[in-house]
Amino acid sequence: MAAPKLNVSDVAALARLTLTPEETEKFSAQLGQILGHMETLGQIATGHVPEVTPPAQPALRKDVPTPSLSVEAALSNAPAQANDLILVPKIVE
Amino acid sequence: MSLAHETLASLRRRLAAKEIHPRDIVKDLLTQIDAREKTLHAYTHLNRESALAAAEKANLSLPLGGIPIAIKDNLNVLGDPCTCSSKILEGYKAPYDATAIARLRQAGAFFLGRTNMDEFAMGSSTENSALGVTRNPWDPTRIPGGSSGGSAAAVAGRIALAALGSDTGGSIRQPAALCGCVGLKPTYGRISRYGLVAFASSLDQIGPLTRTVEDSALLLSALAGHDPRDNTTDLRKPETFLTKPDGSVKGLRIGLPKEYFLPGMDTETESAVRAAAEWFKKNGATIVEVSLPHTPAAIAVYYILATAEASANLARFDGVRYGRRATDARDVLDLYQRSRSEGFGAEVKRRIILGTFVLSQGYADAYYRRAQKVRGLLREDFEKAFTQCDLLLTPTSPEPAFRLGERNQDPLKMYLADVFTISTNLAGNGAISLPCGFTQSNLPIGLQLIGPRFGEETILRAAHAFEQAHDFWKRMPPS
Repeated sequence: MAAPKLNVSDVAALARLTLTPEETEKFSAQLGQILGHMETLGQIATGHVPEVTPPAQPALRKDVPTPSLSVEAALSNAPAQANDLILVPKIVE
Repeated sequence: MSLAHETLASLRRRLAAKEIHPRDIVKDLLTQIDAREKTLHAYTHLNRESALAAAEKANLSLPLGGIPIAIKDNLNVLGDPCTCSSKILEGYKAPYDATAIARLRQAGAFFLGRTNMDEFAMGSSTENSALGVTRNPWDPTRIPGGSSGGSAAAVAGRIALAALGSDTGGSIRQPAALCGCVGLKPTYGRISRYGLVAFASSLDQIGPLTRTVEDSALLLSALAGHDPRDNTTDLRKPETFLTKPDGSVKGLRIGLPKEYFLPGMDTETESAVRAAAEWFKKNGATIVEVSLPHTPAAIAVYYILATAEASANLARFDGVRYGRRATDARDVLDLYQRSRSEGFGAEVKRRIILGTFVLSQGYADAYYRRAQKVRGLLREDFEKAFTQCDLLLTPTSPEPAFRLGERNQDPLKMYLADVFTISTNLAGNGAISLPCGFTQSNLPIGLQLIGPRFGEETILRAAHAFEQAHDFWKRMPPS
């Protein structure tokens, strides 16, 4: 696999980040170099290998309600709130 | 001698004999902090009053009764800040205890302060902190390692008795090696991560940084065990580790993976680690050469998988429910973008972008899925090696602490600092780093012992035997 051209601004937009022109330029060069290093994986034969599944056995607990954070505690870090709700800019016109 | 210089085990004995009171420990630590913290900057927050108050109420009948511990700034402790050394969590106060914290409280411990780290645990030098750099106690012009650099510098600098860290690719072991203390990354599934701010969930593990192996075992015994709130935790019964260390390594089979002794590696590091292997041999262990053939691919695998997981985990920081919120946002998208862009530092942004890319349509097969397959091969390497030996012995870091500013403009070069630690996270095994020597310029060198999964007792026994037969752990950094 050849190192693809990574369009840093497009990918940043997917991740809800806005970059300055300086960041875009710097990250493009750095990430290009990092992706170049990752190309080495293309040389490893993986045809027969299954993808890794999580290493520990997931243990499911019984579906019973237990005490959890109070509303007050859950909202204690909200930047803006009213009536036990978190305020955000208007979403629906 | 200041009580800040003693081990947990020795302080526990003196507390039990009523020779000292927990307040004496806190006072001595605060005195040391006042003298050293200005240089080291190991802490992001100190609980001076609450630690003194907790010392007055300590229950000395508990296994860690009266013992203050420092906590990496990515673990939630009720009422304390938890910034992950990021601007995006400015002002956040934890509304609950992480399970690891709750377990330490149950064991009688209390919390001295929060230790500095690379932002969101992304880094190998603690230079990526938004709250300032931490310095190595052995040479303040050098980095302490990372990402748990504050925890390692505090323990090695005698301004904490012990600390918790987290290890996703070496973030406990590498700073422990570079600062000359003991750092344990337990097996994946050994300790609950509930309340640890997630970086890469298939790799993250919490562990102790201590002066001695005995102290490491003491903390692991308190921390380990199943937690219904982290369903990757193993269901086995709680264990007490290192109850009867006998100092013997007779009959132990120690594997030296040839891929961990690279041409061109630091010669002082190599000779100290080879001398450690020689000590094991002289004391009745068998040395076998083993191979972990996929080691050269580990960095690439790690930086694909860890960034992919981070890009998902860090999506929760959007300025809505907690943390920094951009002011005067036009709409909700603008709120997300500006809060995140203002709040995250450069390395975090770089990794989120990389992680988003390797998961994106058209590239996920070539990067993410391929990396998962190579991860499987790396894990097989370890399983095969452990049919030939009981422990693997390697350097923790290819070189001693480098200078501040030397690497932080070249992320790829910084990533290569993790070459000997990340495979263990990818395979899920436990590993310890402990001091095994010093360079001519008086910088600590770390020895890594890697065990089979859930082989912590074997790791701790061998590490303890080596440590007690040497006096590296007793050496103090210049004050």
